[in-house]
Amino acid sequence: MQGLPDRLEAISEWTGRVASWATLFMVLVTVVVVLMRYVFDTGLIWLQESVIWMHAFVFMMGSAWTLQRDEHVRVDIFLRDRGPRRRALVDALGVILLLWPMCGFLAFVSWDFVSASWALREASRESGGLPFPLIPLIKCVLVAMPLTVSLQGLAMLLRSVAILRSR
Amino acid sequence: MEWVAGLLFLSVILVLLAGFPVAFTLGGTALIFAAVGIAGGVFNEALLSGLPNRIFGIMFNETLVAVPLFVFMGVTLERARIAEELLDTLSSLFGSLRGGLGISVTLVGMLLAASTGIVGATVVTMGLLSLPTMMRRGYDPGLSAGTICASGTLGQIIPPSIILVMLGDVLTSAYQQAQLKMGVFSPKTVSVGDLFAGALIPGLLLVFLYIAYLVVTAWLKPAAMPARDSTDRVGFFKVLHALLPPLLLIFAVLGSILMGVATPTEAAGVGAVGALLLAITRRQLDLVRLREIMHSTLSISSMVFMILIGASLFSLVFRGFGGDDLVHDLLSSIPGGVVGAVIVVMLVMFLLGFVLDFIEITFVVVPIVGPVLLAMGLDPVWLGIMIAVNLQTSFLTPPFGFALFYLRGVAPDSLPTSAIYRGVMPFVAIQLIALLLLAAFPALVTWLPSLIYGN
Repeated sequence: MQGLPDRLEAISEWTGRVASWATLFMVLVTVVVVLMRYVFDTGLIWLQESVIWMHAFVFMMGSAWTLQRDEHVRVDIFLRDRGPRRRALVDALGVILLLWPMCGFLAFVSWDFVSASWALREASRESGGLPFPLIPLIKCVLVAMPLTVSLQGLAMLLRSVAILRSR
Repeated sequence: MEWVAGLLFLSVILVLLAGFPVAFTLGGTALIFAAVGIAGGVFNEALLSGLPNRIFGIMFNETLVAVPLFVFMGVTLERARIAEELLDTLSSLFGSLRGGLGISVTLVGMLLAASTGIVGATVVTMGLLSLPTMMRRGYDPGLSAGTICASGTLGQIIPPSIILVMLGDVLTSAYQQAQLKMGVFSPKTVSVGDLFAGALIPGLLLVFLYIAYLVVTAWLKPAAMPARDSTDRVGFFKVLHALLPPLLLIFAVLGSILMGVATPTEAAGVGAVGALLLAITRRQLDLVRLREIMHSTLSISSMVFMILIGASLFSLVFRGFGGDDLVHDLLSSIPGGVVGAVIVVMLVMFLLGFVLDFIEITFVVVPIVGPVLLAMGLDPVWLGIMIAVNLQTSFLTPPFGFALFYLRGVAPDSLPTSAIYRGVMPFVAIQLIALLLLAAFPALVTWLPSLIYGN
């Protein structure tokens, strides 16, 4: 069993690494857009839109990784002076009662939304915006986020149970 | 079934106290309520199918794109040790004055406003940076702790803080709802720029009041804030080198937004690259540090936006149970009209500030009470700044204030908790004075935005 949490966390690690580079690209592309607009007085709509899409990609795909590093903020005034067993109990119950239902629900309701976008071969409404496969593709993060977060939740649950069972 | 909405709100607060990450607690608890409501036939499940559209709206929100960019800029400035150099230079500049170090700490807190906007992070940074120096120089421990907590939380109010970006976005939609309800069909808008402009004078007022307090204390109790003995002169060029680049960067970012030359997103992107260049010229940037910057940006952005997603699930369910009407009825039944309602809302937020951070309150509470208060005719920018100063006060107030816990975490054991409480009290009093001033003279907030943007 020890191997499974590690393997699950490897997925979170990988998504986090990709998404973290996207933060730098967001910054750089924003500056390119600004330079084009104010210095050369031109603009590429797809480039402008790509900043917004990268932004969405960053926070959706970084979520599992952030959970792995325990950097999703907690109200820890009653937790911080308790031991690791108390925290493990909160985490185990939290994953089962709160995190999984929320992620499952998100993935469930987003599924139709995303597949409709594929079926419609959706492209940007602006002329010169992002072309067809890119918009449905980025909408996939609506399903991918809850999926990756749930997997990281499973890793969290397994680790918590291991702590709770150790004497 | 409005009472269920009330019960939902209280339950969320209670479940949050268990300590599971906020984003999932908000969404998960709301879902449990919705499930029970659907099973009991009192909740319209069609409401929930609107969720993907709302999340998509968050993903495509052009105002909020500025958040990760500002975070990137703030984290870069922090990692490039700009703050350390600023504090070093300012304290050698003012260090030979009584209270000079305290004043330097306050000024650095003000300039660090661009940083992440999360209470914990700024107070911890300021604490690690300044507390050892202040203790070593023989400053009164309580006074040091108070100065650090107050100036560490100051960054939330002084633009360009990401808190104001988020508050601006939430207030915009609240303001539109309020105006539609009042029958105004060509609603006026509030922008992030309005909020930045509105926050400027109140923020500087707080800085002024803090410094005034430090100067008076230094004069009355010289032993509490001794001057440095050695008077090593600091060169003019060293001061210029430490101060000028970060100041220019912050003024350029803020100025271009306030003058309407650039959108907050554009200014934030350029600011982030400016911060990177600054870090490169100071030889503070290598691949390892760049990775750290990207990682912090990623986790802070994810954390913020997951809370926003959890909060929109919560507010969808809260509205589904008629929570809007509940809040409307509650607030309009308070004696004293608008004034009474504002006082009650501010008190509730003050108390919530003991358990919730600024982000949660912005995304959970402001969308609920905002439309009702704004429909009573309040100015949205004024309301936003009052909320910001009020929450900052809450974070400073013993025994539960967030800032105090975080400082406790990085303070040595030789600094008793009672000293922290004692030292921060005068600053709480200053905050209350500022709140009263803003309430009595709303023009302190509204004058600058109306000057810049017209009315």
